[in-house]
Amino acid sequence: MRYGGDNRSRLLLVILIVTSLFLITLDLRGVQVMQGARNGAQTVLSPFQRGASFVFTPVGNFFSDVAHLGRTRSKLKALEDENAVLRERILTRRSVDTEIGQLKSVLNLAGKASYKIVNARVIAQGSSATFTQTIIIDAGANMKITRDMTVISGEGLVGVVKEVYPTTSLVMLSSDPSFRVGVRIAHSEQIGILSGQGTNHAVLQLLDSQSNVKVGDVLLARGSEGDKPFVPGVPVGQVTYVADAAGAVSATAEVKFFAHLSSLRIVAVVVKAPDADPRDALVPPKPMPTPTPTVTVYVTPSASPSPTTKK
Amino acid sequence: MLTRRLLLTSTIFFTLFILQESLFSQVRLPLGGFSLFLIFTICWSALSTPEVGALTGFGAGLLLDLAPANDGPIGQWTLVLIVTGYGIAFLRYGDDSLRGNPFSLVVLVAVGVVVTLGIYLTTGVLLGLDLGTGFQLMKILIGNGIWTLVVAPFLLPLISRLHRAIFETRETL
Repeated sequence: MRYGGDNRSRLLLVILIVTSLFLITLDLRGVQVMQGARNGAQTVLSPFQRGASFVFTPVGNFFSDVAHLGRTRSKLKALEDENAVLRERILTRRSVDTEIGQLKSVLNLAGKASYKIVNARVIAQGSSATFTQTIIIDAGANMKITRDMTVISGEGLVGVVKEVYPTTSLVMLSSDPSFRVGVRIAHSEQIGILSGQGTNHAVLQLLDSQSNVKVGDVLLARGSEGDKPFVPGVPVGQVTYVADAAGAVSATAEVKFFAHLSSLRIVAVVVKAPDADPRDALVPPKPMPTPTPTVTVYVTPSASPSPTTKK
Repeated sequence: MLTRRLLLTSTIFFTLFILQESLFSQVRLPLGGFSLFLIFTICWSALSTPEVGALTGFGAGLLLDLAPANDGPIGQWTLVLIVTGYGIAFLRYGDDSLRGNPFSLVVLVAVGVVVTLGIYLTTGVLLGLDLGTGFQLMKILIGNGIWTLVVAPFLLPLISRLHRAIFETRETL
């Protein structure tokens, strides 16, 4: 192919660009076909994601451990092979333990507040195609999940269901920059708005400049009308820093999420909120340097730390 | 001939897309990691003529747009990748010093990846998407550039061999 046919190549370029602009326009106007295409893609992808998640979960931890094995490679080949097999078996076991632990703690939390929940496994985290913070879980329309349902883990709020596909759903994490949730400071009536920042910290903006927020204050979700997207009473995070700007219209503070958003394995979708607001019932117990639930006892019977406890 | 090329290319890209979305996206790397699919697309365009580069960008962009976790409107990645696919093929095609020099190709691809993400972010802002703090985005952009510089030298021989097998160009690396 000789390059030089400038007109032809320019025409092709123009056609392609116009096509893509047309697609953008269609999608922004909310044409159903576009959403259908994405639904189809998710249906095709989800079996692969399940498979990869199943295979990769134990192996992912294995790579970091293999670095420590190098020293005696030549001498102890046989032993090392056996060791690797055993090690992998332990890691598999440990990842199952983690899942059990997370499941237990999420059931604990939901039980205390009498939420009706659907448990789900996280099958993919994020995507290459986007800068937003999302996870994909293995429960969808088949489990009666609908848009805007609250998603929690054992520690607290995880996010909100954003898209529902036939057997999977996309969850926007609370750390996503476009995430907003109305919160209430526990044991008081002060309310504010929490916005995700793309990290495990969020910014709290109190609606009243007179309010006094302190480091260590616990924030609970305030609940939305009709319990969508947020059911009331879910623990969200803890204030770590208070910005004291004199003359500001409203007080702001920095908040650390309770949920470990980077190491989620099991989450629960709240399909029905309790009839009565649980108020402050879900505030985590007081002695709490790190917001780890008591259930960690089950997770780490051995001396080695479990993945949930390390940041 | 054209059908065969088209079929083979789309099979390769489709497979890579599935791998990227299911397997590689589970790997958590420091500095935001990298997207193998994006690197592959940019490399492929860089080895092609501008027409094929733009077409490659179009196809790859459509796939990325269909990714379920994608937040932006369908067509945004398509637009971005058409422009960079054409641009990078145009740059490399016109410049003899860039052709046949593996090192400069690696740098070109790394810059291409960063520019692609940059254009995506810019169009995202124009379309009114909420993208996060500048610091976070800078970290992702720079991280992607560095990762591409590290990974591309290993991928390039493979990609150029595949590309040669399909397009039967005389270019070698």
